[in-house]
Amino acid sequence: MNATTGSLTQSHPALWRIRLRLAWKSLRSGWALYSENPVGLVGLALIAAFGLMALIHPILMATVWHPPIYDPLIGYDREIIVHPSPPTWVPNAAEEITSLSPLPPFRHILGTDPLGRDVLSQLMFSTRSEFALGIMAALVTVLIATTVGAVSAYFGGLVDAILMRIADVMFMLPFIAILIVLSSLFDFQMVHLALVYGLLAGFGGNTMVIKSQALTVKVKAYIEAARVAGGSDLHIIFTHLVPNLLPLSFLFMMVTVTNAIFSEAVLSFLGLLNIRMSWGIMIQITQAAGYLLISWKYWYLMFPAGIAISLLCSAFYLVGRAMDEVVNPRLRKR
Amino acid sequence: MMNGPALSVYNLTMHYGTRQGEVSAVDGVSFDLARGQSLGIVGESGCGKTSIAFSLMRLLPDNARIKDGYILINGRDIVAMDYDELLKVRWRRIAMVFQAAMNALNPVHKVGQQIIEAMDLHLGVMTTEESRERVAGLFDLVGLDPALMDRYPHEFSGGMRQRAVIAMALCCNPEIIIADEPTTALDVIVQDRILKRIRTLQIELNMAMIYISHDIAVIAEVSDRIAVMYAGRMAELADAMDVFKHPLHPYTYALLSAFPSIKGERRALMTLPGEPPDLLNPPDGCRFHPRCPYASDRCRAEQPPFEDLGNDHFVACWHPLAGTPSPSRPRQAAQGVF
Amino acid sequence: MGRYVLRRSAQILLTLFLFQTLLFVILTAMPGDVTNQMLNNPDVPPAVAAETRRALGLDDPVLVQYGRWWWNFIRGDLGVSYSEYPEPVVDIIRERIPRTLTLFLTASLVQFLVGFALGRVLAWRRGGLFEYGSTIVGVMFYTVFTPWFGLMMIFIFGARLRWLPLGKFLDPMLWSQAVIPGLEGSGSKGNYVFGRLLLTAGLAVMLWLVMVVITRKMPRRRRLQTLQLGTAGLLVAAIVLWAASDIGNLGWDIVKHMILPVVTVTLVGFGRTMLTTRQTMLETLGEDYIQTARAKGLPESEVRDRHAARNALLPVLTGLIIGLPYTLSGGIVTETIFSWPGMGLTLLTATNAEDVPLVMGTLSFIGVLSLGAHLAADVMYAFLDPRIRYS
Repeated sequence: MNATTGSLTQSHPALWRIRLRLAWKSLRSGWALYSENPVGLVGLALIAAFGLMALIHPILMATVWHPPIYDPLIGYDREIIVHPSPPTWVPNAAEEITSLSPLPPFRHILGTDPLGRDVLSQLMFSTRSEFALGIMAALVTVLIATTVGAVSAYFGGLVDAILMRIADVMFMLPFIAILIVLSSLFDFQMVHLALVYGLLAGFGGNTMVIKSQALTVKVKAYIEAARVAGGSDLHIIFTHLVPNLLPLSFLFMMVTVTNAIFSEAVLSFLGLLNIRMSWGIMIQITQAAGYLLISWKYWYLMFPAGIAISLLCSAFYLVGRAMDEVVNPRLRKR
Repeated sequence: MMNGPALSVYNLTMHYGTRQGEVSAVDGVSFDLARGQSLGIVGESGCGKTSIAFSLMRLLPDNARIKDGYILINGRDIVAMDYDELLKVRWRRIAMVFQAAMNALNPVHKVGQQIIEAMDLHLGVMTTEESRERVAGLFDLVGLDPALMDRYPHEFSGGMRQRAVIAMALCCNPEIIIADEPTTALDVIVQDRILKRIRTLQIELNMAMIYISHDIAVIAEVSDRIAVMYAGRMAELADAMDVFKHPLHPYTYALLSAFPSIKGERRALMTLPGEPPDLLNPPDGCRFHPRCPYASDRCRAEQPPFEDLGNDHFVACWHPLAGTPSPSRPRQAAQGVF
Repeated sequence: MGRYVLRRSAQILLTLFLFQTLLFVILTAMPGDVTNQMLNNPDVPPAVAAETRRALGLDDPVLVQYGRWWWNFIRGDLGVSYSEYPEPVVDIIRERIPRTLTLFLTASLVQFLVGFALGRVLAWRRGGLFEYGSTIVGVMFYTVFTPWFGLMMIFIFGARLRWLPLGKFLDPMLWSQAVIPGLEGSGSKGNYVFGRLLLTAGLAVMLWLVMVVITRKMPRRRRLQTLQLGTAGLLVAAIVLWAASDIGNLGWDIVKHMILPVVTVTLVGFGRTMLTTRQTMLETLGEDYIQTARAKGLPESEVRDRHAARNALLPVLTGLIIGLPYTLSGGIVTETIFSWPGMGLTLLTATNAEDVPLVMGTLSFIGVLSLGAHLAADVMYAFLDPRIRYS
């Protein structure tokens, strides 16, 4: 490391390069710690699995799956007379399915829904939008929470008081209630939901936690040094304060994804969103058509979407928990 | 009343397991502690003195294990004991005054209550009045206002908390008390008062005491005998006067020399080159040999035994400094030695 | 502590103020206005529509409307519901709030007790399959999709096993035959019995608190026994009292309907509490006073319960406070699944019916409920943490 210990008159690599190197190193050691915990790895594996699902779907649609049958929105299998029909690989399926001709076992791996569409196709198709929703909401949340938290901690005083009161409002109120009302008043699509959710969550409890973290960073020596060196407030906030908050923000991202996906599913289930297909919609259709509480034989309608929601939400939560052990050293086993 | 030492430690060996391997924190330590005697254990940070303290009460974290040796308290081996038996021995026979009493007290319980809790456990059934009277008496003993027993720890100052912790350690009349750097976190004046108070109590109550510190000046004030630890091993053990007047181990000599003498001549402070060894991979033979100016091949190869060289003066060294003048006549010793 | 409570109350009031303003903003910003339902009928002549709007004050400047909004709120005049015309909104809310409260409070309490007890035990065994297994189970319960889970519960326990009712809050056939002097209609009878149930519960809780205070001076072990006996005694007395009265079977009917929703909300919520408790317990483990407790010779169970748990309680409570809106949300969703006629269901049906006064009123009250719960939890926290109580 002669670069950093050399005299002031010597040239040394650019600041960004040093930062990059340090970031890479801390990433590597963070990963080493993270990967010790199977819980985190399970989470990542699940996310990867879902990601794969989302990616494979368009490929399948372009190659193996015949669109008129497998399209998640408008597909309809004419060969089967009565919909919904159970998965074609189930041993006694032949008796259940009334079809024009015998069907290959992998035709409908999870059966068809009351409207005749392939369930597996729906599941995979929705994965994409669930991810998009979750990540978008998380990004908005993190953006708002980090900025507001940092600004609030840095300036203190009146700015802090006002921002914290606003945060209080968001924080203390049940999202679902507000979302229910808003989604009925305004036409909500995925994007709108992501934005609104990000706004509500970003301003809420997350901000407060990030603010208290920012407060501990604010009193560190290098902030003083930066101020003495003449850095503007904005510069200090974004170049010094925010990077230290990022690990915590990243953690919150995980939790936000979980909650955003969950909220969307609930709202879809209640029929309040203008979305064509999502896991919540799948459950809603099943319930509206009356197949949800009749008998176990409609398991392929009852379980896949619900389990998918749970699994994806758990995955992000587990990742968040494992990250917590990396970011919060008090929890580490020796 | 039993005769014989209050505490007898033989070949105590304790290791920590870490991500990088096993750390040999305490290695083959043996000593006796007579009733009412005060033993001061001194050494640098990481030399194992606190580890010994925790081993004596078996207060070890999950990754630490006593690999060898026995610890006899009143003739009973602590190491081999059942956990349930151990719970009865803790605090009743041997108690500890912790370092940094800031957090040694539970913030959500009243201070008096925490003392009564220990008494309830070990001293049998007492009514509330009896317990409170006893606590009041203890508070008096350490110099605290008895009314404070109904307050919470955060309402106490640092010095007051330390006194409360001392009172708590005394509450079950233990035969042995371990004081692990009890005054390090306090300011000098309070430190002095507490030190004197501890010593007075120890003598008054005829308790055996092990006082642990890195500060040899403090050790000098409170100890009848002094043990010098280095890198997990005991280097020297003798009566306090003997250690100061006739140090036999080169490390002890260096330790003593590191202090400026107010009365003696002005001289440069002597320092020891190098650093204490990494206990993950301790050096072969005598652990001090890398820094010892007298080191010979034997020192590098064989570990010296911890032996009594006469007059209850134990040393672990192949070339003890027999007849070395003490640091108050430094000119002779300083020549080409350190 | 008094100062802390005052300060917190002031903050909460300010938040309430902001919230109400937010609601007003939503009201003004929404497409159309309050009269949507009434006046979108093409048969209404435009002159009448304009006149109605003017009479309702919708032509006045925004600030005047805002002032009127506040004036009405303070007076408790929340308008008249459209979908349940001519019931005033306040009356509807007053009828339904106790039901939501019961569900919410009972579920919160039970899930906290269960989650805390489990988390406490879990933290004491680190590593190995047990820790990971319990994390997975906890997370599973935490992220299970509430509507789906609720429906599964109904399916299993209601439809298949027929142990418990399928929803709603009373069984209309049973009630229409019941006779309560002076009351007609199962709605009002239901409210009466429900009210009585709440009264009993409230009394029992108060007596229990009195008991806790009275026994403060007793030595620990005896006190624990007395409290256990006392609690059991209270429960038995309450049950006997109800069984002996003539509305006993009606009371039981309501309780029976409560079981499934409470269990659902509890199961969905306890995972979170359990995981948080375990986490805070682990953090507490590293504290010095735990070592002191062990050094004193206390057995592990006491170290865990009297020292670690008591300290971990505080952050867990904070976590609970932060999670209050989520619990409330979960309660709202559960109400819709079980058709439990509380605030949540009201909100949903009102929203679907575009009954704007009722929606706004309900939302308002949900906000008040949430903030009130917050304040109560904050005060309880201040009470439990001696550092705040005696500062």
